[in-house]
Amino acid sequence: MKNRRKIETQEERQNRHKAMESVAILDKLKNDFSKPLEAMDYFYDLFERVYCKRESLHERSVKVGTLCIQVPYEIIYALDAVPVRLCNGFHTDDEIGSDFAPSKACPLVKATVGQFSSGNFVDRPDLVVSPTTCDQKSKAGAIIESMGYPIYDMEFPRTKESEESREYWRRSVRKFAKDLSKELGVKLTRNKLKKTIQRIGYAQYLYHRLNTLRKSDNPPILGVDMFLVTNAFFFDRLESWIEAVERLVEECAAKTEEESATYQNSPRIVYTGSPPIFPNLKIPLLIEQSDGLIVADETCSSNRMFNDMISVDEWFLYDMVDSISDKYLKGCTCPIFTKNSDRIRRIINLVKEYHAEGVVYQAFAGCQVYEMEQRSVLGAMEKEGIPILYLESDYSPSHLGQLTTRIEAFIESLKNRRRKKACAIS
Amino acid sequence: MNKIRDAINRIDLRKFRFWIQLFFFVLFVYGAYFSIDLGRELPIFSCGYNRETGGTCYFLALQHQLARPWDRLFSTASIGVLTGFLTFLAWFIIFNKAWCGYACPLGTLQDWITSFRKMLKIPYGTYSQSQYKVLKKIKYIFLFIVIVFPLLLGIGLLDGEWRGAFCKMCPGRLITPLFSGDVSQWTIDFSTNTAIFLTTFGLGFTVLFFVGSFIKKRFFCFFCPMSAMHYIFSDWALFKLRKDGEKCTKCGDCYNVCDMQIKDIADDVTSKNILRDDCIFCMKCVAACPEEDALHVDILNMKVFTSTKGGFAKRMEIDSFKKEESDEK
Repeated sequence: MKNRRKIETQEERQNRHKAMESVAILDKLKNDFSKPLEAMDYFYDLFERVYCKRESLHERSVKVGTLCIQVPYEIIYALDAVPVRLCNGFHTDDEIGSDFAPSKACPLVKATVGQFSSGNFVDRPDLVVSPTTCDQKSKAGAIIESMGYPIYDMEFPRTKESEESREYWRRSVRKFAKDLSKELGVKLTRNKLKKTIQRIGYAQYLYHRLNTLRKSDNPPILGVDMFLVTNAFFFDRLESWIEAVERLVEECAAKTEEESATYQNSPRIVYTGSPPIFPNLKIPLLIEQSDGLIVADETCSSNRMFNDMISVDEWFLYDMVDSISDKYLKGCTCPIFTKNSDRIRRIINLVKEYHAEGVVYQAFAGCQVYEMEQRSVLGAMEKEGIPILYLESDYSPSHLGQLTTRIEAFIESLKNRRRKKACAIS
Repeated sequence: MNKIRDAINRIDLRKFRFWIQLFFFVLFVYGAYFSIDLGRELPIFSCGYNRETGGTCYFLALQHQLARPWDRLFSTASIGVLTGFLTFLAWFIIFNKAWCGYACPLGTLQDWITSFRKMLKIPYGTYSQSQYKVLKKIKYIFLFIVIVFPLLLGIGLLDGEWRGAFCKMCPGRLITPLFSGDVSQWTIDFSTNTAIFLTTFGLGFTVLFFVGSFIKKRFFCFFCPMSAMHYIFSDWALFKLRKDGEKCTKCGDCYNVCDMQIKDIADDVTSKNILRDDCIFCMKCVAACPEEDALHVDILNMKVFTSTKGGFAKRMEIDSFKKEESDEK
């Protein structure tokens, strides 16, 4: 008898690989840790549905793909479209993308380009907005355009202190609002924009409430889980996300009350650097598998998306749009800006407020800006007496052994510090 | 106690300010009807040319007093000048610049003009930073006129027609009496060339006041010499506007809502005392700050009003939006 096997198409193979990557990480999240949260099931399930079963979430809506966090979600939602952030974390896509970018380019950019080149989307974007943030992303926009996707370049300044760049970015956002409204044939109205500002404000508010709980001596939630929650914001339906996080906040609040249910003994860590994006949650996972606990982070796949909120003085389009643009520029701690004092201040502040004992700084090999800021951040931490571990990694599943050893050693040293401190006190 | 504090931090500042401003406006414009007189040393533009005022701007008295001949100015006869000044200081030191944001009738009037503009849905104007840097200096020129011109009068370097020069130029002289039905100030004095100049300037400035504050929030306050005078003594005041730079993310929310376009409020993360010469202490920045305790108003190191996440959410109606939605369901 002949073994009649169907030959797998390239797309099917990619999807199988991506599903395998997803399952591998989701299984670890679900099974490797004690004290799980029930409300997290929604998110495990969501990622499985989207990345393994390839279920579409926004079949009927117009989807606006975004390539960086600087694209104002508020405006897209107000125009009845759905923003889908396409920053990608799949190793499979990273390998596909390698054909389009230099070998030393950032894996995130390569993976994003790779996904476009394969054209393999669950929710295919109708329009892609690419803010000119870092060099590699700006150039990626043009590569993606050459593949036949409609790209909208949104001009973004590289300094943020000056009044000129503030005005420049405001104009950029005003133009974006106008152009997108024209493109979609939907009028931007005052009421709709106000509602979406408040809706997203509420999502941010929930995120902040979770964070407040993480500040306590009994942090109820794992950092990897937190990354999963914020990653879901990239593409989930806003309403369902809000409901799920509401449940999560409730459960976490209850959990902080009982000590044995939380992770109070693990060394507390602030995570900074290149963004962990599903399924590349490698480093956060390693940290927490080695008994560390990420209590706070400074990355654009989590904290930076939610941290700064919009305040409006006069609830009219003119003031709302300008306030929105300020939020995306002024508070941003992205390393693409000329100066990085704000980022350093943020990290130090997070360490203090979340009573963290150490910082882990990851840079993607090829992410120049994070690599270049490394020295100054390390220097500043040394000055403050905060232990910091600098790691370089990419999306490949290799090097795990070396990374594990370094992370375990770092966490062990934090525990030693703790013991020494306890001895010194007694 | 914590509950009270929480309630204060969640206050709807807009409404709170509106009622206080209305109260002070009535007090200072119509106070005489209730036989209220808070004296002649008030640190606000509550103009003495309005006969119904409940208390008078200190500059009217100050210019008058400083214009004495110098031999009398520097004699014991001038103890009154000194006590006048101390009274002014006493008023000011308690509330700091909150006089501008809450009590000054001219300030309140500008806020009402702003509300009117909002009703017409017309966007406000702003200055560029370079314009701003030049314009904000003008108030010191006016302060110079308030203080030095009377002194020059005293030694005879200026003629009597320069008496109360600033008052003749000030829009307050024309506007406040208007509210008690007195239009007699809306004239040009043709007696001398100087008088023509000063009163024409005043008339022009008043027209500019209305046009300007329709376009620009708190237009006049950029030029106000009282604001400059306040700033000299503001370090001693009990009310303080303070910032905890460590907690600031420089998001610019405070800067965005600031009527006076004070950039330092967002970008300066080193000063503890964040009150600047243009500040009108309206506390809108504190209300607009989403970070816990990053901006706060202190009385003698005690936080009376501080920025909180909860207060921010309330004022931005983030909570109420949630309620509305569940109502719809």
